[in-house]
Amino acid sequence: MNKLVKLFITSVSAITLALASFTSSFAKVEGEYIVLGSAISLTGKYSSNGVHTQNGYNMAVERINSMGGVEVQGKKYKFEIIYYDDESNPKRAAQLAERLIKQDGVHYMLGPYSSGLTKAIAPVTEKYKIPMVEANGASRSLFTKGYKYLFAVLSPANQYLEVAIDLAVEKNGGKPVRIAQAFEQDAFSQDVRLGILDAAKRTGSEIIIDDKLPKELNDMAATLAKVKATKPDVLVVSGHTKGALTAIRQISEMKVDVPMLAMTHCDAAKLSKQHGKNSEFALCASQWHKNLSYKDNFFGGGKKYAKDFTKEFGYDPPYQSAESSAALLVFKDAFERANSFDRDAVRDALKDTDMQTFYGNIKFGPGGQNIAKPMILFQVRCKGDDCENRVVAPTKWASDKFYHPIPKWSERS
Amino acid sequence: MNAIKQKDLILYSGLIILGLAAPFLFSAFKVQLTYLCVLIVLAMTWNLQGGEMGYNSFGNILFYGLGMYLTASVQVGMFFPLAEWTESGGEKTFVHTTAQYFQGISVGLLVAAIVPTLVAGAIGYAILGLRGHYFAICTLGLGIAAGEIAGGIEIIGAGQGFTTPPFPAEIVDPEARGQFFYFLSFLVLVLAFVFVKYIYGSRFRLILNAIRDNEDKAEAMGIQTMKYKIVGWMCSAFFCGLAGGIMGGLIGYIDSTDVAFDGREMGVFMVLMAILGGKGTLWGPVIGATLFHFFKEGLWTFILGWQYVALGVLIVVIVVYFPEGLMGWLREKYPDRFGEVIDEKDRKAQVEIK
Repeated sequence: MNKLVKLFITSVSAITLALASFTSSFAKVEGEYIVLGSAISLTGKYSSNGVHTQNGYNMAVERINSMGGVEVQGKKYKFEIIYYDDESNPKRAAQLAERLIKQDGVHYMLGPYSSGLTKAIAPVTEKYKIPMVEANGASRSLFTKGYKYLFAVLSPANQYLEVAIDLAVEKNGGKPVRIAQAFEQDAFSQDVRLGILDAAKRTGSEIIIDDKLPKELNDMAATLAKVKATKPDVLVVSGHTKGALTAIRQISEMKVDVPMLAMTHCDAAKLSKQHGKNSEFALCASQWHKNLSYKDNFFGGGKKYAKDFTKEFGYDPPYQSAESSAALLVFKDAFERANSFDRDAVRDALKDTDMQTFYGNIKFGPGGQNIAKPMILFQVRCKGDDCENRVVAPTKWASDKFYHPIPKWSERS
Repeated sequence: MNAIKQKDLILYSGLIILGLAAPFLFSAFKVQLTYLCVLIVLAMTWNLQGGEMGYNSFGNILFYGLGMYLTASVQVGMFFPLAEWTESGGEKTFVHTTAQYFQGISVGLLVAAIVPTLVAGAIGYAILGLRGHYFAICTLGLGIAAGEIAGGIEIIGAGQGFTTPPFPAEIVDPEARGQFFYFLSFLVLVLAFVFVKYIYGSRFRLILNAIRDNEDKAEAMGIQTMKYKIVGWMCSAFFCGLAGGIMGGLIGYIDSTDVAFDGREMGVFMVLMAILGGKGTLWGPVIGATLFHFFKEGLWTFILGWQYVALGVLIVVIVVYFPEGLMGWLREKYPDRFGEVIDEKDRKAQVEIK
């Protein structure tokens, strides 16, 4: 026992010393770098969108740094981001936020991917009064908690598909429609569902199927069988990237005929590439599309951003990347207007943000959500085997007319 | 005998002092340390089933998740309408005063300890008749089912998740929240340790061991095995519920399958930690949890994207090289330090026979 105890005491004191010397502090600003922190889903169920987010952040950091960086009190600074992998798990995300703030000394945060993880991180950043600009947490409940240090460059989740229901009613000659819907059980998708419920109530439409999909989403055949039997006017599906992929795969396999299919995350799932013609006519909600006419000094416009992004990462940027890039533009703008690294000064500057970026106008409401930018809807359209996302609403940016109803599978070649 | 006791006394008082001083010594690591305390509690109480009783339970996560939801629900429900709190997009903001927050969490933790214990009793009565793999699979199902069910109950936020009450804003010191949760978890850790140590010196442990080694014989000797199995599981549930309640408050956001009934992570980790340290020993789970936490926190971030591969390798290494855990390995190497007397003559005689 004696030796064991000694061994134990030795190791405890060794660890103690190691930790004590480890309690270092990267400062918020190190030399010529402004250090930002972010927990990102590099593994787990959100990993593909996590990578889209990270690519968006990295693209903007590179661009801003190469174009002179951030000027504060006459000195030029560059951005640098510390990343951790939150494993798509809220518990881990909250822990990592703590770690970024307390151990790495980060004073400014960038958001994670998904509403659920943002919900887990927001209480931590709020407690330490760390300004966080997030680009991927759209759940409305984020903006009703009275958070003062949370700023979102995107529109709230309930707005994603509300317009789609209005469109369906319009196509139905102004008469109410019958809606079938299936949503993943997570914060974001459930909020999209609430938006649909609101729209249904407003238009007097009836919801005939209201299914919940599991988080590890790879089968929704049961819902689709019901859809086949009940023939609704609209089918709404939301479940991040996997939801979009699963829906298209099984709809085409089971040859489900439905006049209108409304979804989210079509571009993040690269639907038009992965499923080609099978994904044609899917109507998708998006925060951004490259054809929009917004402009800024760093990325030019949407088309140029898309071109540069494709050159760098080898695929068309989904809106998740675009909004993430925009988050850094917001930070840069706020630092320069605050002309200081004081967290509260930066926070106040963020609150007064009113700018245009390639991604859209950004102005924060009292809850921290972006109130200056509408959602858009695009539809997948194909010419031969070449499929593309074409904007169909709102009319200001529409390049194509909304195609309705979707032809039956028996009539599709 | 006395000498050993004195050493123990030094060891324990040293550890308690270290525990009490830790949040001030390593201020930046408070949250990590809180996690550590909770992990140790989970591993130690899992060991009561998996190690002592020989029943590999994957269901302890059920009590952990239950405790988490109960604490948060009570904490909110005592002062505000719970349905409005969890409703997404609700326009109202409710704020707990300092007194309300602490009253809420105290009552919440009390409920979180009692209800899971009762649930363990009820479920245990139903399923502890199963043995071996059947019991393991059944409990695995319990955690998964609970996650799916919780994800469908609107009043606790369903798939939206449940944001637990934020730490009172009137306490300005940003360190206070970390300290509060650390000391809470440390207290639970000490309670759990004292309790498990007490069990280790009691007849109860011998009965659990008898069940593990041969349940039929134990039964034949007149031990009401069912009764003891249920009580054993209830003891674990009590501490799992408390641990869950603390974690809920610390994380600040409860998600049905990813945070509360997180069988894939916490549920597996508690088993892994106990086995790493050595199941069926008092210190094994403590050492296992500590090593595991250091391994996880230290290495995880350096191998971004590959951490689960590393975890897989760790599991293989443990199973292949340390099947009895670190404590088991030490015990085999240095049996005399564990109070096992080796008869040298006998050992030599055996060698000669070979």
